[in-house]
Amino acid sequence: MEGKMIEFTINNQPVVAAHGETILQAARKAGFYIPTMCYIEKTTSCASCRLCVVETDASDSLILSCQTPPTQGLAVTIDSDRLQMERTNIMRMYDVNHPLECGVCDKSGACDLQNKTLEFGISSQHFSAKEQYRKIEHWGLINYDPSLCILCEKCVHVCNEVIGDDAITLHFGGYSSAVIPKNSDVLDCTFCGECIAVCPVGALVSSDFQYSANTWELKQVPATCAHCSAGCSLTYEVKHTSTSARDEERIYRVTNNFEYATLCGAGRFGFDFNIQASKDEAKFNEAVLALKSASAIRFSSLITNEEAMILQRLKETLGIKLFNEEARAYQNFMSAYSSISGKMAFGGTLEAIAQSDAVIVLGGRISTDNPAVRYALTTASRHNGAKVVYMHPIEDALLQNVITQFVKYEVGTEEGVMAMLAKTLLNVCELDKETQHFFDNLDEGYLCAESNVGEEEFAKIGKILTRAKRKILVIGSDVLGHARASNIAKLCATIETLTDFSVVIVPQHVNTVGVSLICDLDSDLNGANVVGYNAKGSFTMGSMGECDLPLSALNSQEGTFVSLNYHVLPTNVAVGYKGYCLNDLACSLGVNQHYTIDYTAKLPMNKGFLGRAFDELGNFYGTLGEDLRGYMLENIDVDVNGTLEEISDLPEFNGTVVYFCNPVNQFNPYTARSKQLQEPIVVRGSAQFAAAARINDGEKIEICYANTIIVHTFVMDATLKGTVALMPTYENGASEAAYRYEKAIISRVGN
Amino acid sequence: LSKVYFSTWRGEQINNIGKPQEEWETSAYNLPLEYNEHSSSKAFIGWDGLALFNPDVDVVRLATEYAAQYQVYSEACGRCAPGRWGGRILYDLLDKIARGEGSVADMEHLKEVSRTMQDTSKCEIGKTVPNPLLDLMHHFEAEFMECITKQQPSKHYHLHDTNYIAKITAPCMDACPAHVDIPAYIEGVRDLRFDDSLMATRQTMPLAHTCGRVCPHPCETECLRSNLDSPISIMELKRLGADYEIDHGFGFFHPVEQKPKIGKKVAVIGAGPAGLTTAYYLALDGIDVDVFEELPVLGGEVAVGVPEYRMPIDKYNQDIEAVRDLGVNFMTNTKVTADMMRQYEQDYDAVMVATGTRISKKVYCENERADIQGYWGAIDFLDKVNLQVKYDIMVPEADQKQHMLDCDYVDLTGKTVVCVGGGFTSMDVVRCSIRANAKKVVMIYRRDERTIINNTTYEEYHEAVEEGVEFIFHSAVAEMRDENNVLKSLLIDMFELVPDPNGGRATLEKIEGASFEMECDYLIPAVSQSADLKLIPEEWEIERTSWATIKTNGKDYMTSRKGIFASGDCEYGPMTIVNAVGQAKRAASVMARYVVTGEISLNDDEIMEDHLRKLKVYDKKKKITGWLPGLPRQHGEVLSVDERRDNNLEVKYAMTQEEALSEAERCMRCYYIAMVAH
Repeated sequence: MEGKMIEFTINNQPVVAAHGETILQAARKAGFYIPTMCYIEKTTSCASCRLCVVETDASDSLILSCQTPPTQGLAVTIDSDRLQMERTNIMRMYDVNHPLECGVCDKSGACDLQNKTLEFGISSQHFSAKEQYRKIEHWGLINYDPSLCILCEKCVHVCNEVIGDDAITLHFGGYSSAVIPKNSDVLDCTFCGECIAVCPVGALVSSDFQYSANTWELKQVPATCAHCSAGCSLTYEVKHTSTSARDEERIYRVTNNFEYATLCGAGRFGFDFNIQASKDEAKFNEAVLALKSASAIRFSSLITNEEAMILQRLKETLGIKLFNEEARAYQNFMSAYSSISGKMAFGGTLEAIAQSDAVIVLGGRISTDNPAVRYALTTASRHNGAKVVYMHPIEDALLQNVITQFVKYEVGTEEGVMAMLAKTLLNVCELDKETQHFFDNLDEGYLCAESNVGEEEFAKIGKILTRAKRKILVIGSDVLGHARASNIAKLCATIETLTDFSVVIVPQHVNTVGVSLICDLDSDLNGANVVGYNAKGSFTMGSMGECDLPLSALNSQEGTFVSLNYHVLPTNVAVGYKGYCLNDLACSLGVNQHYTIDYTAKLPMNKGFLGRAFDELGNFYGTLGEDLRGYMLENIDVDVNGTLEEISDLPEFNGTVVYFCNPVNQFNPYTARSKQLQEPIVVRGSAQFAAAARINDGEKIEICYANTIIVHTFVMDATLKGTVALMPTYENGASEAAYRYEKAIISRVGN
Repeated sequence: LSKVYFSTWRGEQINNIGKPQEEWETSAYNLPLEYNEHSSSKAFIGWDGLALFNPDVDVVRLATEYAAQYQVYSEACGRCAPGRWGGRILYDLLDKIARGEGSVADMEHLKEVSRTMQDTSKCEIGKTVPNPLLDLMHHFEAEFMECITKQQPSKHYHLHDTNYIAKITAPCMDACPAHVDIPAYIEGVRDLRFDDSLMATRQTMPLAHTCGRVCPHPCETECLRSNLDSPISIMELKRLGADYEIDHGFGFFHPVEQKPKIGKKVAVIGAGPAGLTTAYYLALDGIDVDVFEELPVLGGEVAVGVPEYRMPIDKYNQDIEAVRDLGVNFMTNTKVTADMMRQYEQDYDAVMVATGTRISKKVYCENERADIQGYWGAIDFLDKVNLQVKYDIMVPEADQKQHMLDCDYVDLTGKTVVCVGGGFTSMDVVRCSIRANAKKVVMIYRRDERTIINNTTYEEYHEAVEEGVEFIFHSAVAEMRDENNVLKSLLIDMFELVPDPNGGRATLEKIEGASFEMECDYLIPAVSQSADLKLIPEEWEIERTSWATIKTNGKDYMTSRKGIFASGDCEYGPMTIVNAVGQAKRAASVMARYVVTGEISLNDDEIMEDHLRKLKVYDKKKKITGWLPGLPRQHGEVLSVDERRDNNLEVKYAMTQEEALSEAERCMRCYYIAMVAH
């Protein structure tokens, strides 16, 4: 059955459909137009609008094309007088009592109801029904007007099937049906805003954007989100702020191609992080001098490939070092990985996660670290019934409706857990002598005891995987900074090489992967005379906050990033920047290119870049959802020369521990300063943590670790357990390469 | 069958307008002429037409009320554009006409909206609501036009002399003894809202895991999709919601929030499906429930009768835990006696007897004596097997001796087992015997292969054959032969079906000379079971049925003694789990009212439920519109014979998500709305 194409006809033209495809999908692929109001490709069909009815030769009644697969030989007619008449009547019903407020509606000009009303020529209200009073709801970043709502259910489907919040539902009530928060009086969700994106009318809108601009006045700038390593596509929508000649444009909102791509709240609402500055020559010269005399440049991975390339050239020209411990950790991890796998990159992707039916996630708080991974997990869980094993020291309530097995291990024991996991997954494989020897000699009793993961838990993992066909191992950034990261990497690579698992490693920042490929990074020993680019230094520059020389933020730059998928993605200037950029400095230091993007074609081909110029890169999706942005890096073959090392003694993290982990929608100083994402910066911990640290909810506390003292407010979180607290890092820049857990001494401020 | 004034029900054309009542024709259908013992019906209106029982009915008002009910009941609906707006437009226009403000154009708009609803609505409810309205507008056009032309209200518009009682149903819901809202739980699967799916199931069926596995699914026999191609795999789709709850460690998704305690308490005797169901719904209503169970384990026959390979105990325990989660108290190892019953009647506000049928009936052959070693009742046999397999409760020494076991579990290595039966229990016996490593397992059955499949399922029978069970059809045990009270062999008679020359039912007649002797170690009678009712105090003189079960009226499940209720097999006789659940759900509803008011009553929903079942919602001649035929029914994977025959692994895998979603897509959401005016 599977794999065989079903042949049928649409309007007498031969068409084929793959197993599981509907008539509508096959029609669209073949270029036929069938009108819809409620259809969205990335969810199951809502089947509410009924516009997509078609005629067939198998029945004299109308068939709904969005939920019906064709049968072999079926003759489908997608337009006829009868269909036109019924579809027109449906549109007449949609228009019954729809408020005539298009003049001020946010959706006007990009509204499906407007478009279809025009298409079917509904010029007056044909039917009538009693008006009803409907209250507008204000749900924080989102407003909902039920009188504008056409109850297509797209928002409800996306929220449940793709995002996983499952925060809204339909209140059934016929004519008075409405979208309501699920199991709650107010909307309690992660505020991804995807419901706004998919709303075909002006019912769900951004409260910040509402009544601030007409759709047709906004300039669309396609770009790549700067906040995490997923590299999501987004569109900055930009407009002037006044009619003055000196007017500056600003970003009014972010939209996305919701039909095929998904965006989290940070991408959607955290867009106003651009800075402005003029060209201050004195400061510029100071910066040139600082760089000339510097021993090193320290920088973060919130940087384009082209800038990374400039830094690499500066290193070579000036003979200085480059520090980026976070990217170096990833670089080292992947180098160890490749030494076993023989490939530069791992084999999995976000798309593969979404299509999988079994996923193991280990070593990261993935729901907030990388929402795109969470959405892929949700998709896999809902649509494929994927079994999801989540291995981490801290339970994650956001993932409860996705996870089918939670495996809690002790902080620090990742190497042991990984070894036991590898042994479980490799159980059915033929191993070479050396590898067999390695696993035969594992001290399972010790590893299980120290990690606190029972053998039966591993056995359960093995059992649930037996029927799975598409398996993925997702590795979070906890392990990248682990002291034994190399050996963990080798264990991951062993799994990917010998089993049918593919692996995805999730680095922290938007361009961790790009930096790791482009820059020759040095070990940061905290020496003197270091210039910081969006990082600490004796001279600092960048866009992250107070610094000696402001440089453009990532939404004021063009260039490329490499996502965790090893996908080279272009980004563009949303709002212009009048100050200097890194390339200006480089030109003064003998590293000459006219534009930053002149480096795009020069990115290292030995790392898989294809030598394509910036202007050759697409930044859009095809009409059938093909991702036509940039290009995929070539996965270069490398030497296989690694061997598994003996598992070292597992460290112990007793007492109170903090875990560097940001709350929902927070990633970096950019999100921290976004107007819509403002929230108090707090450390979250369980009641048990509070008891162990002798602190109370709402108190200011001092967190002491490794020569650092930080003061934060403590908030007790009922969804947490255990003695590990969640410590934010977004407000003061990227947390560096160190392991994400620290033993910390906690005290109440003032004690 | 009864005389009606006017009917278009299911296409019949009865029009007695103007004729005296004695000359009225009779309807071919079981229409609800009497609403209940207190009130006669005036009209019945539904998805497939309408019937008037009284010439005085205000047909314009009737149409308006039916359209209004669609608005009221649209909690099941409101999910498609034509249904949501069309339904409202129908109501508004009809009401406009009925109150005397309508125009001729409104009649045209009504027809236009009706057509679009019939052609494009998502569910049958939207497609069928216009049907009787169009019938009324057609046959009683004069009444409508009179309101319009005279701009006057319809004749009873301002009177409050009629109750309009409506009920949502569907063919599958009607066929299900527990009346599970099947389209809703399938829609939950289709929309990937598995919590909603489970909550829809639990509205009337607490045992979602169990009835996702071991239900004989009468719903599928009356699934309207069979009119188009093949029925939906209704039963199995229940598992997705149930598994979702377990897989993600969510507590329990109850269908409604549990009510605060009302200070009433009920004793339930027996923790099988009927007892659990009674306890569940009473507890949801805020009533304290104590459940007394004779066995050391909870779950009744599903626990100790149905084998692990069909119904894994960890899944059943989840169903049981859902009941316990509501605060129900369970007392195991408590055999209730007549004295205890007398006490419970004092101590509790009501008592439910749900003790099942746990006495294996005899096969009625020569020399059939319980003291012959090797003669082993099916119920006791399955108890011993299941208690060990599921709970590690070993066979006591005395029983080992009685049943010639060399060890403390049922090991039949080298033994020949003969089972007499033909129903699910006998299937469980023979397949458990295979798993207990018997040398040879034979099923003796009086009738033929087709009947055994009808009585059980196609899968059950074929899986047994695959596993090596030998079936001898048209056969019966004539005599047990023993040596010193140890069974040695059986005399088997053979029969043949002799057609009745007068065209009546064929009869089974013994084939002379075909009888043979079969050596065997065990004879396990699994013919049927009877109820052990020794716990009922004799002086209560509780009425029994002719087959010695407790008698109730089959509607409110109260016995002849006030406050004492009965449900499940001890009321009905050995029947299905879903039957027990359906009875107990209804009984719990009656009991919840009884403990407060002291009255026995049915609510409108229950009255309508019974009327519709009598009428039968499924119509096998109904033509299906709006769905493409030829989409195959999905089947979950089954373990191969080698993988399953020597162990207790669950034989049937759940459908993959992809299979389940394809299957859910086939469901046509055949919701209908029916209304009685009385």
